[in-house]
Amino acid sequence: MFLEARGIGKSFGGEDVLRGVDLSVAQQTTLSILGRSGCGKTTLLKIVAGLIAPDAGQVLLRGIDITNLPPQRRHILYLYQEPLLFPHLDAFDNVAFGLRLRDRPEPEVREATETMLAELDLSEQRHKMPHQLSGGQRQRVAFGRALAINPALLLLDEPFSSLDSETRGSMQQLFKRIAARHAITSIFVTHNLKESILMGDAIAHMRDGALHTYATKEAFVQDPGSGVAEEMEFWDGLRFQ
Amino acid sequence: MKRLASAIIAVVCALPFALVIMLSLAHGWRFPAILPHPFTAELWRSIVTGRVDLGAVFARSAALSATVALLSTAASFITAKFIAYHRRRPLLLTLAYAPYVMSPVILGVCILYLYIRAGIDGTFAGVVLAQTIFAFSFGIVFFTAFWNREKLELEQLVYTMGGTTRQLYSRVLLPLSRDALILCFFQTFLISWFQYGITLLIGEGKVQTLPLKVFDYIGEANPGYAALSSCLLVIPPVVMLWINKRLLPRIL
Repeated sequence: MFLEARGIGKSFGGEDVLRGVDLSVAQQTTLSILGRSGCGKTTLLKIVAGLIAPDAGQVLLRGIDITNLPPQRRHILYLYQEPLLFPHLDAFDNVAFGLRLRDRPEPEVREATETMLAELDLSEQRHKMPHQLSGGQRQRVAFGRALAINPALLLLDEPFSSLDSETRGSMQQLFKRIAARHAITSIFVTHNLKESILMGDAIAHMRDGALHTYATKEAFVQDPGSGVAEEMEFWDGLRFQ
Repeated sequence: MKRLASAIIAVVCALPFALVIMLSLAHGWRFPAILPHPFTAELWRSIVTGRVDLGAVFARSAALSATVALLSTAASFITAKFIAYHRRRPLLLTLAYAPYVMSPVILGVCILYLYIRAGIDGTFAGVVLAQTIFAFSFGIVFFTAFWNREKLELEQLVYTMGGTTRQLYSRVLLPLSRDALILCFFQTFLISWFQYGITLLIGEGKVQTLPLKVFDYIGEANPGYAALSSCLLVIPPVVMLWINKRLLPRIL
C-alpha cells in the first residue's frame, strides 16, 4: 500500500479526537474521508502531513515509517480549506514558489510555471495578486503551486468548502482531470456527501474519532450510517410532491 | 469656517516649534521687545565648532536609540511569535505588559540594584539594556497581533512544501512583516529617544543624552541652548514621520 496509518490516536486536553484510526491509500487513487465538522478529519490529515505528532500509532509511506519524520522531508503536501496564497506574491510567483524553494534553475522554473498556469487556464492572470483573483482562481493557483512540485501525496482539507456551488462543481471536475493526468495520490476530506462520492476512488467515514473505510462505493451507499439513504429519501420525497 | 478652524489648529500646533526655533536663533530678547533681536546662527555654529558638546550628545543619543530599537524589535518579533502560539498566551501576554504598564522610572528603581551589583550602572551598555527591557515589552504587545492563525498556516504550508526555517523567514515571514518591523523599529526608537527617567537613573548622569541636556539647560536658565537641544531632539521624529509617510502608505 502506498500510504498506511496504523492505530493513530490523538487527544487534546483529555478529549480523544482520534481513537485507533487505520487507513490505507493505494497509489494514484483518491481516498475521500467524509465526516462532520470537528470529528477529527483535519487532525488526521495533519498527523499524516507531520504537522501534529500522534499520541499513538504510526504512518508509513511506501512501507517506510515516517511517523517521526519532519514535514519538510515527507514530501506530503497539505492544502488548507482556504487557498492560502502568499499575499506578497503574484499568481506566477505563487505557483513557482515550491520550485524556487528547491533552487531549480530559473529557466526551468519559468517554463514549468508557465505550463502549469496554462493547464489551469490561469495564463491571463499570471501577474495578478491574490486579492485580485476570484475564489475559484485562487484555489486553482493553490493547486498549481502544489502540483508544480509533484508531491508524493496530496492532502486536501475541504478545499472547495468556501466556493459557491457552481464554482465548486467546476473545481471538482478540474481536480479529477488533473489528478488523472498527473497520477496524483490524495486524501480528500469533506463534509459534503455528494462530494465524497464524486471525488473518491475509495470512501471512508469518520465518526467520533473512528474511521470506517468501505470496500466499495456500493457498500458506502448501502450503509445506513453513511447518510446516503436519508439523502435519497429526501430527493424522492420532493419528486412525489 | 472649516478652513479657519483648520488654520487655527495648524497655528496652535506649529507655534511651540516656531518658538523653539526662534529661541535657538535669538541672540538677545529683552523686555519690552516683541521679537528677539538680532537673529543669529551663533548657537547652531557652536555645535560645529565644538564649543558645546551637543553634536557628540546627539550622536550618542542616536546610537543608543538605534541600538535599543534594533535589539528590542528583533527580540520582540521572535518572542511575540512564541507567546502568540503558546497555550498560556493570556498569562504570558499579561507578564509582557508588566514593564510597559509601570512607569520607566519605577522600572529603573526596580533594576538599579541589579545593575550596581553587575557593575553596569552609569554605562552606555547599562542604559541600552534598561531601555531595551521597556521597548522589548512594547514590541511584544505590538507583534502579538501579527502572529495570527494565517501566519501559522503559511508556516506549515512552507514546511510541507519542503522549505527550511531559513527559507520560511527569508521568502515569506520577513517580506510579510517588513512594514510592521519598520514601524516597530521607529516606535521603539522614539520610546528610547525621549526617555529621561530611566536614562538618568541607570546612567547616573554619566551617560548624557539629549533629553537630559534639555533639562540641564533649563535648570541652568539657559533658554538659547535649551531651545537648540530641543530642536535637535525634534529632528529624528520629523525624519521618521516623513519616512513613514513615504515608505509605509499601507500602515499610515
